[in-house]
Amino acid sequence: MKTYILRRVAQSALTLLGVSVLVFVILRVLPGDPARMLLPDGAPESAVAELNRQLGLREPLIVQYGLFLRSVAHGDFGQSFQYRAPALRVVLERLPATVQLTVAAMLVTIAAGVSLGIGTAVRRGTRYDVAGTILAVLGQSLPNFWLGIMLILLFGVALRWLPTSGFACWTSLVLPAVTLAAFPTALVARLTRSSMLEILNRDYIRTGRAKGLAERSVVLRHALRNAAIPVLTVIGLQIGALLGGAVITESVFAWPGMGKLIVDAIFFRDFPVVQTVLILSATVFVGINLLVDLFYTVIDPRIRYS
Amino acid sequence: MREQHSRPDQLGRRDFLAVSGAALALASAPALAAGQAKRSGEIAAGLSERMLTLDPANHYSISTTSVLRHLFDPLIDVTNDSKFVPALAETWRPVNNTTWRFTLRKGVTFHDGTPFNADSVVFTLKRVQSNTKLIKSFVYQDIESVEKDGDYGVIVTSKRPFGSLPAHLTMLGMLPASAGKNEEAFFQKPIGTGPFRFASWTHGDQIAMTANPTYWKPGIPKVEKVTFRFIPELSTRTAALRAGELQVIDRVTPDLVETLKGTRGVKVLDVPAIEAQRWIFQLGKEPVKDQRLRQAISLAIDRGVIIKELLRGYGRPVDSPVPPGLIGHMTLPPKVYDPEKARQILKQAGYSNVSVDIVLMKDFYPKQLEITQAVAAMLGDVGIKLNIKNLEIASAREQRTAGTYDLFFSGWAHMPHDPDWYFGQWFTKAGSEKLTRYANPRVEQLIAEGRVPDAKVRQAKYEELERIVWDEDAEIWLYYTVAIYGVSDRLRNFEARRDYYVLLSDVSIV
Amino acid sequence: MAPREDTGALRRWGQRHPTMTIGGMLLGLVVLASLFAPAVTHHDPIKPSFSQRLSPPWGLGGTRAHVLGTDNLGRDILSRLLYSGRVSLALAVAAVTIAGIVGVVVGLAASWGGGTADAVIMRVADVQLAFPVIMLAIAIVAVVGTNPLTLVGVLALSGWVLYARTIRAHVLTIRGLDYIDAAAMLGASDLRVILRHVLPNTVAPILVIGSSQFATMVLLESGLSFLGLGIQAPLPSWGSMLAEGRDYLSNAWWLATAPGLMIALVVLGANLLGDGLRDLLDPTLRNVEG
Repeated sequence: MKTYILRRVAQSALTLLGVSVLVFVILRVLPGDPARMLLPDGAPESAVAELNRQLGLREPLIVQYGLFLRSVAHGDFGQSFQYRAPALRVVLERLPATVQLTVAAMLVTIAAGVSLGIGTAVRRGTRYDVAGTILAVLGQSLPNFWLGIMLILLFGVALRWLPTSGFACWTSLVLPAVTLAAFPTALVARLTRSSMLEILNRDYIRTGRAKGLAERSVVLRHALRNAAIPVLTVIGLQIGALLGGAVITESVFAWPGMGKLIVDAIFFRDFPVVQTVLILSATVFVGINLLVDLFYTVIDPRIRYS
Repeated sequence: MREQHSRPDQLGRRDFLAVSGAALALASAPALAAGQAKRSGEIAAGLSERMLTLDPANHYSISTTSVLRHLFDPLIDVTNDSKFVPALAETWRPVNNTTWRFTLRKGVTFHDGTPFNADSVVFTLKRVQSNTKLIKSFVYQDIESVEKDGDYGVIVTSKRPFGSLPAHLTMLGMLPASAGKNEEAFFQKPIGTGPFRFASWTHGDQIAMTANPTYWKPGIPKVEKVTFRFIPELSTRTAALRAGELQVIDRVTPDLVETLKGTRGVKVLDVPAIEAQRWIFQLGKEPVKDQRLRQAISLAIDRGVIIKELLRGYGRPVDSPVPPGLIGHMTLPPKVYDPEKARQILKQAGYSNVSVDIVLMKDFYPKQLEITQAVAAMLGDVGIKLNIKNLEIASAREQRTAGTYDLFFSGWAHMPHDPDWYFGQWFTKAGSEKLTRYANPRVEQLIAEGRVPDAKVRQAKYEELERIVWDEDAEIWLYYTVAIYGVSDRLRNFEARRDYYVLLSDVSIV
Repeated sequence: MAPREDTGALRRWGQRHPTMTIGGMLLGLVVLASLFAPAVTHHDPIKPSFSQRLSPPWGLGGTRAHVLGTDNLGRDILSRLLYSGRVSLALAVAAVTIAGIVGVVVGLAASWGGGTADAVIMRVADVQLAFPVIMLAIAIVAVVGTNPLTLVGVLALSGWVLYARTIRAHVLTIRGLDYIDAAAMLGASDLRVILRHVLPNTVAPILVIGSSQFATMVLLESGLSFLGLGIQAPLPSWGSMLAEGRDYLSNAWWLATAPGLMIALVVLGANLLGDGLRDLLDPTLRNVEG
């Protein structure tokens, strides 16, 4: 057991290192020039060269990476090219908004997805099933921004029930969370449905029914518990997807989160910010998957040595 | 000596005089306050371009210039009709071709109470000239020395004639000399002399400012608080205005004008801007090196249809490379639409099935992709195939630098209300080396001669050089843009500016 | 006698497998309409028509000439939708195929090779998964340029891992089975064992993954084109139609809604088809997620 844990941790660390190298190299290999992005079109070549030198981009790649690793070890992720402030501070400033949006979207996903999944599984083949499936597909395939802007126009402009954008108070979370949750909710719903269907037909469920247990108890206690594993897997994966898919939602809602930050940073060639966000999110992603794996070994000893 | 004591239940004469004196003073206070006008309310504005920094010397962004104008004052302001007026400088005179003398306004204080004087100006200018990490630094490299001339005078000398110095100074807010002690800390809570004081900001998201009660202009500002939010997404920005969450937004597209006009409580203000939308050529490369091809391309473009149909009339035909209202504007023969002539020229020059690449910076200019596709159809009609390359900004600029393009969708907003920068960048050999590769010695000479402070001389030089580049079809000038703003009916005295600045210091809200 | 029985059998088969049938029909409808676009609509999807800009769909203020309305350059939306279909569907099919081939080969190599090869390949997969697709896409497109081949490559890159992992898990399970050992003992070379015994058993999961991956690819292609990293104008694709319609949602919502619904239709069809295939071929694959 211990060796398994150690092995998984070592694998995770290796993965993270690999990500950091990949990020570093890709950024510097990309065409496009940070200084040229910062200076206006009307700046002379000498100014561009000078700014690149000031940003430390003229050193050989290995030297830059070495310096980068050393400063990361001290908690210094460099200065954002765009904002001229410590990259870590700029990123962390945006973390709360992202976390709150992700948590809200997760809650919506779990609540709506699982209930929709159970509801359609239990009513398999009926109109409700069909309606639920169509709803799920729409959630999975309608573009994020379309949904977001439509919600803004309806609830923000026409009805004025909710704020149209930004992060002013808790009501600002509603529309962005619903928009962001649409895709994962659909996935979770369909997966829950198929897991439930599979289990609802199993022998021990039929036994439970034969024994006279109430339908609801059968469903909730037995079926759900066994359907939990694959659903949990997907939810774990979706956290990463949420962080990534938040980009468009954050753009639409002018949400001060990390998704928009990183896309802007990529297009702007703000290397320190991109590096910081990717390494941080890779850490979270790898960490969560590590935890989920370890959690599995607790739930199901059969998986332990795969 | 007998002790004097006043009786508690009776006002003595002295007390009475004191009390009535106080009462009189109180009575006249409202009159004084009225002279300073009562401030009330808050305004929230939505800008499309993100603000990245609070340092006036470290950006060249229009929205940042707008916002920082509320925190800092420059030496000189520019009005909407391109006139330079005193701000922190009361007068400015060219002593000779390479020397400017400024006299400063007295009685101005920074937000922390320290007085504004020549030290501040010397510090600000020396800083931007010497710290080459600052984005505005390259503009001020020509400055040789900045010297105090008493406490309220400054003398600036330059290596070469710097006629456009006052124009550039309209965009440079004055910093207190104390900022030099710890710049990073200073810019976390910046202090200026402006109509508003810094309250809070989140990088790239929004900034809040509160009124400066000791501002040197009487009656300014008229509101207690101003917030700028940065919302690049057009639909979201307009939704916020329509929902009443914002009172003014910039960069409204022509297609949304009807929607906004139809919203209760909202009106639309528009004004021709000092910006030209233009396509530049890679003049060092075949085939657009050939002036005849460039001419044919220009003839094949129906600018009138673009303005009328795609811009819904929110555009102006171009009559010179420099927009109206700026020094150098003139009226040249218009660029006509004549596809038949274009075909003839192509045939005579031996071009059949020629294909050119146009590079666009993704989402940089509004409706750029739409206009490019329209022009592609027009060029196709005369036998020129236009390949559209809509690239992310960094890649597009890289191609421009490397010269691997034929046409590039570009624009130029004359931010300092002066065309010297435009000419120096795009029409000198050194400036356009990694851009258009333009090289014409006569034009270059005229640009240098146009740098002197004498306005009449400058106008003459610019007119001559514009005739040359116009005839050469050095660029495709498509149209002058129109700045469209969405404004709440609750605002009073908002001015739709030609330079896209959103200025709120003399705007009030009901 | 025979033909009538055949159609009856076909119809009964269709009734027994409703999900697959409906899914297949939806997809088939879209594919056919796209393929035969010139027959369905006579409007040019590329040529602008300035006087017709932003007409609403028929029934909502528009005319019969443009059933789904026109876009910001006056082009017929239905026509653009169908011509886009050719591009988007072709790309998705190509991407799924390539991802499948690469994924299967890598998965087989990892599971059959075992040991270091396996560890290395799985680490590479992990690193790639921890990377947002958009950044990979931007990087690749920025370096190589935007053309349909690049787009296929990027899409395939995002999809191979799922195949590899599934095949690997499958192979590891099968590997212990008796008849495989028997074949190996009888002297069959590794390659032969793989081709004749292992591969046929993996066909079912590959098909199932493929159909749901197809839906993912369509979505991904539209996302990339939306970001400007995909199909270049004026060639239409669903993603670029979405992108161009984005600024018009307040006043001309049909520009973006039409491609959005079309994508939804295709995804619905592909998912139903996939579900049906899975029910048909191997019910134990229910928890495969794509």
